[in-house]
Amino acid sequence: MKAALVVAAGWMLSCAVVQGGERGFDDIVRAISDQLHTRPIHIPFFGLVNLATFAVQPAGVKHIDLAVFENLDVDEHTARGIAETMRDTDAGWKPFVQVRSWKHGDEQTVIVYMAADRSDCKLLVMTLEPHEATVVEVRLNPEALQAWLNHPEETASKGGFSR
Amino acid sequence: MTALKIALITGIALAPLGAQELKLPASLDRLAAKASEVVDVTMDANLLQLASRFLSDKNKDDAQVKKVVGGLKGIYVKSFEFEKAGEYQESDIEPLRTQLHAPAWSRIVGVRSRKSGDNSEVYVKTEGGKIGGLAILVTEPKELTIVSIEGSIDPDQLKELGGHFGIPKIEQDSQPKNGKSGKDE
Repeated sequence: MKAALVVAAGWMLSCAVVQGGERGFDDIVRAISDQLHTRPIHIPFFGLVNLATFAVQPAGVKHIDLAVFENLDVDEHTARGIAETMRDTDAGWKPFVQVRSWKHGDEQTVIVYMAADRSDCKLLVMTLEPHEATVVEVRLNPEALQAWLNHPEETASKGGFSR
Repeated sequence: MTALKIALITGIALAPLGAQELKLPASLDRLAAKASEVVDVTMDANLLQLASRFLSDKNKDDAQVKKVVGGLKGIYVKSFEFEKAGEYQESDIEPLRTQLHAPAWSRIVGVRSRKSGDNSEVYVKTEGGKIGGLAILVTEPKELTIVSIEGSIDPDQLKELGGHFGIPKIEQDSQPKNGKSGKDE
């Protein structure tokens, strides 16, 4: 009984830590949802992707979060508003690459943010198109990514494990 | 009153430093509206340190870039691509050129191609006899790229940074020969 209680307490504590860690992304998604007046689409079994990512850590990636918004009407003003929202959401995020393209008639904006997360790095890539918006956050270990980039065949021979 | 004096003296002392920093003119924002693609890379010292963690010490090329990045305070790249030639005027970049003047700045490389209309210039900023920054200005009929590198860097190290952090690759034959600072094709 005591062991079961300890396990349950440990489980609840770890869930709270994970939720706290992921709250940043949820806040971003909520802020963007408010700007776009819509919710992201549900991606079935995405939790399994994260489970596999946590176990395998391909190319140093430890965690992935994804939010896709569809059927939008994003104009230049909305895109700018979202970028400003990001600035207010979390002080740790810094945009380091911004690409705005009007090629092929449609405007597309890609903003890449980077932040330190203890010994890891977090990258957030936001893509805004007239009718779709995608936000991807990846937490990765730079050293493991380096190892994968320098010796891809060696990493592949280990079944993709990079740790 | 003493605080006011200190603030005044500090302000005067720091004014020349501020004046030496490359400021992107407001006219470039207007160009963004005409461009078919705008790329903006902003990496301050903290981001550079973070990004350099992706470079391996074991890989020779990565290690070189990491060493160069260690002495930098920031890398800023702004690039515009236009649908057709003539979308931007020389007057749009004139405020930028005005800043790149002696004594703080000197042009070390200038390559102009009459055939293609391409023009590349590299400027260095000197502070107390040391190089404190670099500016690269690449103008093509349908493209304009401005690179500002803040911090201690040797111009020879530029080619190490080429292809990284949004900096265009520097061709070896673009380097000046026999002390010449300009080249017409």
